[in-house]
Amino acid sequence: MLSVKDVSYSYEDSQRKALDGVSLDVADGEFVCIVGHNGSGKSTLAKMLNALLLPTSGTVSVNGLETHDEDSVLAIRQQVGMVFQNPDNQIVTTVVREDVAFGPENLGVPTEEMAERVDRALRAVGMERYASSAPHMLSGGQKQRVAIAGMLAMEPSILVLDEATAMLDPIGRRDVLGIVRRLHDESGITVVMITQYMEEAIGADRVVVMNDGKIAMTGAPAEIFRRGDELREIGLDVPLAVELREELAKKGVCDCGDALTLEDMADKLCPLFLKN
Amino acid sequence: MPIVLEKLTYTYQNGSINAFTALNDIDLTINDGEFVGLIGHTGSGKSTLIQHLNGLMQPTSGKVYVDGIDMSDKKVRKLGRQRIGMAFQYPDYQLFAETVAKDIAFGPKNMGLTDEEVDRRVREAMRIVGLNETVFADKSPFELSGGEKRRAALAGIIAMYPKYLVLDEPMAGLDPSGRRGVLETIERFREELNSTVIMVSHSMDDVAKSAERVIVLQDGRIYRDGAPADVFCDAEELNRLGLDAPFAARLAAELRRRGCNVPSDIYTNEALACFIEHLVKGEV
Amino acid sequence: MLNDITLGQYFPVDSVVHRLDPRTKLVLLIMYIVAVFLVKELWVFPIVIACMLIFTVLSRVPLSYVLKAVKPMRWLLPIMFIINLFMIHTGTILFEWKFLKITTGGIEQAFFIVLRLVTLVTGTSLLTLTTTPISLTEGMESMMSPLKVVRFPAHEIAMMMTIALRFIPTLLEEADKIMKAQLARGADLESGNIFKRAKAMIPILIPLFVNSFRRADDLALAMESRCYHGGEGRTRLRVLRFAWRDLWAVLVMSALIAAIVLIQRFVSFAPLHAWFLGLLV
Repeated sequence: MLSVKDVSYSYEDSQRKALDGVSLDVADGEFVCIVGHNGSGKSTLAKMLNALLLPTSGTVSVNGLETHDEDSVLAIRQQVGMVFQNPDNQIVTTVVREDVAFGPENLGVPTEEMAERVDRALRAVGMERYASSAPHMLSGGQKQRVAIAGMLAMEPSILVLDEATAMLDPIGRRDVLGIVRRLHDESGITVVMITQYMEEAIGADRVVVMNDGKIAMTGAPAEIFRRGDELREIGLDVPLAVELREELAKKGVCDCGDALTLEDMADKLCPLFLKN
Repeated sequence: MPIVLEKLTYTYQNGSINAFTALNDIDLTINDGEFVGLIGHTGSGKSTLIQHLNGLMQPTSGKVYVDGIDMSDKKVRKLGRQRIGMAFQYPDYQLFAETVAKDIAFGPKNMGLTDEEVDRRVREAMRIVGLNETVFADKSPFELSGGEKRRAALAGIIAMYPKYLVLDEPMAGLDPSGRRGVLETIERFREELNSTVIMVSHSMDDVAKSAERVIVLQDGRIYRDGAPADVFCDAEELNRLGLDAPFAARLAAELRRRGCNVPSDIYTNEALACFIEHLVKGEV
Repeated sequence: MLNDITLGQYFPVDSVVHRLDPRTKLVLLIMYIVAVFLVKELWVFPIVIACMLIFTVLSRVPLSYVLKAVKPMRWLLPIMFIINLFMIHTGTILFEWKFLKITTGGIEQAFFIVLRLVTLVTGTSLLTLTTTPISLTEGMESMMSPLKVVRFPAHEIAMMMTIALRFIPTLLEEADKIMKAQLARGADLESGNIFKRAKAMIPILIPLFVNSFRRADDLALAMESRCYHGGEGRTRLRVLRFAWRDLWAVLVMSALIAAIVLIQRFVSFAPLHAWFLGLLV
């Protein structure tokens, strides 16, 4: 259980509030997607979740532990695994296997258990073949998978991805999303995914839209993407299926309801073709 | 005069056991005024190819001519290089000066233009990319947001008035409004300077929006080369190469699979919507 | 492609020497250096060289690779040789012309200096050929850790070395990309005098530094979020353990030192000197 209560935050060198009275609860096992344009405060919010930043006012708590409490910080960071945007800047050592062990090493996990954790984590992201590779030889997507494995090895209950797919090519992005999805579905890990790609929000349980440090909208993907004009107004977009659906509605051709994916659209449009 | 590649082959670490042929016998002509989308997955040879266009890399065998200038000739290479503006993926690799205006002036100054001309071009370039001069000219490039940085970097290239503009993943990592801004910039630039644009992208949907010709690279060879409609019509094939066809093309393919009669030259949402409109109104 | 640069000169094969504990190898190197400096007599060098060759054969690294280490000294060695040849005036004079004088002592000393340098460099190179930089770092951290008592930052130094090793390839690649981006804007890096060239590097160095600082920030955040809080309470995935082969290696090296000391103390080299003199005159 992740709980953000009335959190505000300003960076030292700025007058503007990066976060302004944000409240958000994420239930265990939920898949939440946070979207917003650059500078909307979504990354600041992500850093609040494992005490990398502390709120100027308000509180953040993770499974009952408050990030303000210095003694809880390590426990919180163990609970909340963070994957960042740039795959190059979060791998610490020169061998994949040893990098995955970095977190458990810091936690003081006994050596006998560590090897097992590392192997399990690498298997979970399908990178066991690269255990003894040098990180700089991997592709962006592979590096992000290693980064996820590094988190899994700490056995967190929450996974936060801070624009983790932004620098990847389509294959890398698909791989990373697929793995996160599977981890969520199979082991019930809570996922908070921050992204600029609306397509990635489709599969979430809940979408949170940030704008100017505030939560502008929150709801199921279907609800959020009904409000295309509002999204565009704050520098965002809708998935392509929704764009087509809007176009058709505007022309008065047909109402495709809450179709979000290609399959949804095909389901709606197929009868139309067969009728005509 | 066009860009001509003749039997271009490039091998990394030629002669060693790790030798890897990134480009294999490429013949290609890019004509004046075209808007070319160059697509291919990571490792297909895209980056290697565009670095040959302005002589940053030299072919293992074969030739590159820019407006008839042989890019392997060291003496004239600089002339050819000036005709090709190359915008790399990350603006952070390029921005260095104290102010945005000075940074944009770097390229034109290297061309040996007069101060007045440099100044004029800087202002012109800022207008094209949509960076307000009074706000941004004296700002440090390191204070800009991601989208603004990208545009400032683009302005630095545009100010050189390149005849050919090569863009490597110009929209990667930007939020939707940033992506729109960059795409608009490219289109404005093309209209005003009448240049040729070669855009490298992973995003088929971005390519589909603006390119008139699409080239697909696969394992260092040209796999497809033609009008977007011809290239995108085979969504399943592109999928197999690890490339997503544009959304509308994929949807059209799915509809065809389910027995609906959708023409194969549809690859944008607009075209698909129009087609369905006509269909419903009984005009097909 | 800078992607496949290998750091250091590690030669990836599996051998007894490769499998030695990095701490052992560091100790062996120190012992070896001591041994080389204990040699006072040119005619003892064959023993050192033999020892070097034994370790080279055991390491399965081709001798040519080990000898490559001498290449950077290809100018220094002849100079050292010539200086010693003409400056040392002991023993019998073999040649004299104006102020130039070659003596038997000079010849011996010239060979002595060259051999000392070559054996030192090849021995060190054998260590780096058979040990990855990362396990060397680990070895050093472990060996320096007793110094933590006197607040010597052994863990921190090792961590810095690890991060440096991790990021050198990344930064080289980045430097290459920056250079290309500025070349594409007409930057001229090749002409002009040294000042002009230094100035031309500014558009490359600034983005490189700015990006490095950003990376450092990012990395610090990533490390913090992975519960990094210094060396205290840290466990390791790989624990260094000594094996029997480590003991054997140290014994062999001890034998070398003992042999050098004993031979120099109890064996007379007079016949060899006489033979050498006879050879030259």
